[in-house]
Amino acid sequence: MKRLLKGGRVVDPASGVDGRADVLIEDGRITRVEPNIATADSEVVDCSGRVVAPGFIDMHVHLREPGREDEETIASGSRAATAGGFTTVACMPNTEPPLDNGSIIEFVLTQARRAEGANVMPIGCVTKARKGAELAEIGEMVRAGAVAVSDDGSPVASPLLMRRALEYCRQFGIPVIDHCEDPDLAASGAMNEGQVSTALGLRGMPCAAEDIMVCRDIRLAEITGGRVHIAHVSAHRSVEAIREARARGVAVSGEATPHHFSLTEEAVRGFDTHAKMNPPLRSEEDRAGVMEGVLDGTLEAIATDHAPHNAIEKDVEFERAPFGIIGLEMAVSISLDRLVHGAGMKLAEMIRRFTEGPARILGLRGRGTLAPGSHADVTVLDPDCEVTVKMDALHSLSRNCPYSGWKLRGAPVMTLVGGVLVWRRD
Amino acid sequence: MRLKARDLLGIEELDLQDIELILDTADGFLEVARRPIKKVPILRGRTVVNFFLEPSTRTRSSFEIAEKRLSADSVNLVGSGSSIVKGETLIDTGRNLEAMSPDIIVIRHSSSGAPHLLAHKLRSSIINAGDGFHEHPTQALLDAFTIRQKKERLEGLRVAIVGDIAHSRVARSNLLLLRKAGAEVTVCGPPTLIPPHIEKLGAHVTSNLAEAIEGADVIMMLRLQLERQKGGYFPSLREYFYYFGLTVEHVRRAKPDVIIMHPGPMNRGVEITSEVADGPYSVILEQVANGVAVRMAVLYLLLGGSADEEAA
Repeated sequence: MKRLLKGGRVVDPASGVDGRADVLIEDGRITRVEPNIATADSEVVDCSGRVVAPGFIDMHVHLREPGREDEETIASGSRAATAGGFTTVACMPNTEPPLDNGSIIEFVLTQARRAEGANVMPIGCVTKARKGAELAEIGEMVRAGAVAVSDDGSPVASPLLMRRALEYCRQFGIPVIDHCEDPDLAASGAMNEGQVSTALGLRGMPCAAEDIMVCRDIRLAEITGGRVHIAHVSAHRSVEAIREARARGVAVSGEATPHHFSLTEEAVRGFDTHAKMNPPLRSEEDRAGVMEGVLDGTLEAIATDHAPHNAIEKDVEFERAPFGIIGLEMAVSISLDRLVHGAGMKLAEMIRRFTEGPARILGLRGRGTLAPGSHADVTVLDPDCEVTVKMDALHSLSRNCPYSGWKLRGAPVMTLVGGVLVWRRD
Repeated sequence: MRLKARDLLGIEELDLQDIELILDTADGFLEVARRPIKKVPILRGRTVVNFFLEPSTRTRSSFEIAEKRLSADSVNLVGSGSSIVKGETLIDTGRNLEAMSPDIIVIRHSSSGAPHLLAHKLRSSIINAGDGFHEHPTQALLDAFTIRQKKERLEGLRVAIVGDIAHSRVARSNLLLLRKAGAEVTVCGPPTLIPPHIEKLGAHVTSNLAEAIEGADVIMMLRLQLERQKGGYFPSLREYFYYFGLTVEHVRRAKPDVIIMHPGPMNRGVEITSEVADGPYSVILEQVANGVAVRMAVLYLLLGGSADEEAA
């Protein structure tokens, strides 16, 4: 089975390609990327006026299965991913039970195969049951298919255990992804500590709760030679610490969520629980700092931290509401709108944050690029179309986000996974 | 006459005109308390639910007396007796209450923003009787009423608010109201109990009690929650009192006609000495008396418009 993506502008930062070309797909692999490919026996997909990019990778999602299938399942989440332009997602292990052993990693992969949506790459727990006490059987999880480890939702609070995790993971070449938050400093906070928390009378979580632990992790990566990845960077000082460490050659990487570079703590006014997530929306200085980190590549990946929650649980007093918002189906449009159109980021650089960046961090071979021989995961974009975010059009089982009614410029229009056209914008 | 908004969620939502309307209206209600028959028929047939999910003596009885003096039918619901303890959500409880067609729901809740959530979901008017550390608008209104009574103005006055500013809805509402009315406000407490960026709400900030009180027209003392000591905010009540307890010596630094206020309940010997609390400058019990008239004004003004429609 051959498929020819014809007439588009191919932007593949990993191979340095940016120009008009056709992409030929054979048996689930990219075989040729050249101008004017002529084949008689292939199905032609017209991509003229579109941007053809490597399949986008979201390295930070919560698919809630097993445990909270009312909020999301691997099937619904991987369909939401493809409808958001993602061909691969890495799912966090804070499920019920948590993904902390090989057999449950296999379960996730089995469910993902059945779903026939985006590729799902599980992330295993750092510690058994995410309790922060003993290392989980990381080797067994890696053998089963885990691409990284994280206790996301919680930090690895003990510096000694974090050190051991970084050392131990070196033999597998996987990163330890940390949710950086000093649990004492951030304790019982519901939003960013600052002028809005003061005005609203809500307990705050200071930026320092994050950046102190980012600095700790950087030092631990340095002394261990392990690879640390900082999830959802929200504070400008965290960005500065990562930038400085990378310049020194420390194996630290970071990701930014679309909400942390497009919104500030002001969104919490009115006690909107759809603006409640952890780490929280912070000040304008932090928002600008995170955006700067994305623009200059300090933060190599854009990831959604897609965190579905049941409406019943979000429709409560602000302090009682769970943290988290969904983002899979808006992230690409928000990024095109705010980064490319809003901040003058080169389209190829934005695409790099969704492709080469996360693929490098997770060590995914043959993904995040359109180089011949790669998996035929392709995201096709229309960088200029106007879209309005509509809640009733979402594929996710949940609706918890502050984006309803947002008008954005640019959107994914087609998603191919392993050469199969799995989603197309109507 | 009525308020522009349907609810009284906070001072933040009021403009100076609203505030003056409430205070002027309360003036008229003050004499009801002096009548032998303390009742006017203004809200006859109206139903008010007092929904208190946090302990309260003063505010709850003040609302209830205000409602009764206006001839409204009032129902009291407290946290321990409500279905919230059975796991019902606030919105569901609110909707069930609303199914019985109350005109106003007065809510006290430990979570900041809870009244806003109800206001968003229900048709009844919501009065915030204190939400978390956020706002306590009727307290600020009765404080302003009391100050105006004594000083005949708010504008240009120097007001010191002293104590646990961080965890105080009374401090926030008073700060907002006094700033809207053109008063100068200094907040004072240990740095651990001053919330970040409070100066952006228009306050001067100091941790020196003498400096805060110097030349003050009004001193508002806040209640210190004794359990804050466990949170590491201050080392001991003894030390707290040394730096922030209000004594007669401190009061001498203020204007000769200074008034001393406290929203209650007081910790005598912690934030205020009995000598001051019971002394000649203290207006603490007048605050309580005025609270009824101010709450009558708020209830009346929230329902006033629809009463007019009926008359027409």
